[in-house]
Amino acid sequence: MSPTAIAPVKYAGRNYIIEMAIVSLAYAGVAGLRHWLIAQAPNHALAIAASVLPAVPIWAMFWVVWRYYRRIDEFEQRRFLETLAISFGVGSSLICTYSFLADAGLPELAITWAWPTLAVSWALTTGIMHFARR
Amino acid sequence: MKNNLPELRARHGMTQGALADALNVSRQTVNAIETGRYDPSLPLAFAIAKLFKCRIEDIFTARA
Repeated sequence: MSPTAIAPVKYAGRNYIIEMAIVSLAYAGVAGLRHWLIAQAPNHALAIAASVLPAVPIWAMFWVVWRYYRRIDEFEQRRFLETLAISFGVGSSLICTYSFLADAGLPELAITWAWPTLAVSWALTTGIMHFARR
Repeated sequence: MKNNLPELRARHGMTQGALADALNVSRQTVNAIETGRYDPSLPLAFAIAKLFKCRIEDIFTARA
């Protein structure tokens, strides 16, 4: 990627935090209203639309992360991808391990747990790698 | 690769932050290049050479 990115690199982190805060608030609002919206829906089609509404800010979070990736410079992009690769390995291994434990009698968890598991493993890996690279 | 970026930057009276702004990269990236922890891409190496009005090989040399 050219060193002249979309916007000045030094604002990438600040913009990411602002955009992620907005979509996180949107997620919290939509998730909180979801059951009420489903109950209020006049027909089945609108009930389905209301039930899937929290997925919109989830996709927006992915878009915000992508925008951040495009804003940072090549060195930061390399570190970003390294961290993402490690956290994906950790997160997916955790999910797989729990599925075996569920076979042994632990409570079955909904597939929606996969997303926060990957998000938390990404956040923890980012923190650990930050200190490891110092 | 080895580089003489710290000397070149000091000769031009630039801080790491000022060089980072001029190249539109982070200060951490400039630091990583200067300390040899990161070899820049060819476009970034060209941008550095252009900024200091010299050739890439005047700044970066292969590690013996």
